[in-house]
Amino acid sequence: MSAPYPKAAGQGLAACDTCAKVSPVLLGRCPRCGSPLHLRKAASIQNTMALMIGAIALYIPSHLLPIMTVVELGDVTHNTIIGGMMRFWNTGAYPIAIVIFAASILIPLLKIVALSWLCAAAAGWTHPSPTMLGRIYGFTELLGRWSMVDIFVVGILVSLVQLGNYMTITPGPGALAFAGVVMLTMLAALSFEPRLLWDRLDELPAEPSPHTTKPTS
Amino acid sequence: MLTWPKPRGGPQYSACHFCDTLHEAFPLPEGSAARCVRCGAVLYQNRPASLVRATAFSLAALFLMALVHIFPFLTMDAATLRRNLTLVGAATALIEEDAPILGVSIVLFTVITPLMLAGGMIYVCAPLMIGRTAPGAFGVAKWMYRCEPWNMVEVFLLGVLVSLLKLAKVADVHFGIGFWAFGGVMLCMAAAVAGIDREELWDRLEVAKT
Ligand SMILES: [Zn+2]
Ligand SMILES: [Zn+2]
Repeated sequence: MSAPYPKAAGQGLAACDTCAKVSPVLLGRCPRCGSPLHLRKAASIQNTMALMIGAIALYIPSHLLPIMTVVELGDVTHNTIIGGMMRFWNTGAYPIAIVIFAASILIPLLKIVALSWLCAAAAGWTHPSPTMLGRIYGFTELLGRWSMVDIFVVGILVSLVQLGNYMTITPGPGALAFAGVVMLTMLAALSFEPRLLWDRLDELPAEPSPHTTKPTS
Repeated sequence: MLTWPKPRGGPQYSACHFCDTLHEAFPLPEGSAARCVRCGAVLYQNRPASLVRATAFSLAALFLMALVHIFPFLTMDAATLRRNLTLVGAATALIEEDAPILGVSIVLFTVITPLMLAGGMIYVCAPLMIGRTAPGAFGVAKWMYRCEPWNMVEVFLLGVLVSLLKLAKVADVHFGIGFWAFGGVMLCMAAAVAGIDREELWDRLEVAKT
């Protein structure tokens, strides 16, 4: 099947990842900015999956371990992310509870699921519509950073609430694990190669579709 | 002001970053965007007054960044104590409480990355206005775009809001000038980065160098 649209890779041309200049891949390095040229990012599926496995391994302890410890008049309480969200919910602060739920619980999970699905499609196991996959990919790139909000909250509270015997807050191990989840999922999204999705689509045998198989009568 | 110049030597091409479809890169009128014929992703855009915009908004962002480090984000009054929150204060508190990785990541994502972006933008774009390149401008531009996904100014602002709500029942908390200045940093950075297309900036660098 001849591809209806010419691909840069089909003509031995590669777009530079840094400056977007299109040059022959045989040059090895971009003539404009000197970055290494390649048709597709090397081992992108393996790298993305490896980073995601790391993120999944940290996701569980990040919610089980306390992200911060509050000492109030001698009383020690260990706060987890879910515990903090529940406290907002129970006091009627629904919007903020929903924001924490989205940023800390939902977005990392959705990102892991979405990237796994994209990897499966890039490996050729499933063939969903690339336009929809594009939207999912854009979403994972856009939303991932917002999960860092919990880490920033821990930093802010630890810095502000140092009130001697009255109340102090110290960071917990869950915060480190959660920062790991956010950074690993961001790196996983960056190492993913969306062009593979279209390569798989073009490899498909020509299916009977309305605009490619018009019999000439 | 020059419009987007194209490097010499044969037709210029643009490959879609998403589906790799090859297009010939024709010059565009100001204010319009070229889209991929196959997937519809934006290939490049010709922004009006791009260099002036990128430089001016980056300068404003740098100025506001200075304010952010002088004035506190939040001021908290609890019992007889008053405490102020600054970016560097939050980071050093984490480092002192045995969480150095968290402290360093706050500095990286909210101080160093925005500084690299705004400073790099000025360093690259200001000399381009008179058709010159600053020494090392190619390396600076490369690092600037590499930093971009790690800029988390707006996420920190959300963190300040959540913290304020968490502390509201414990103490008396007020917004400081730092908070509003950081909001300004967020808007100026977004305007500066959107002010000039990546391909235009690199094309201008290439033309200015030869
Ligand atoms: Zn390049
Ligand atoms: Zn495309």
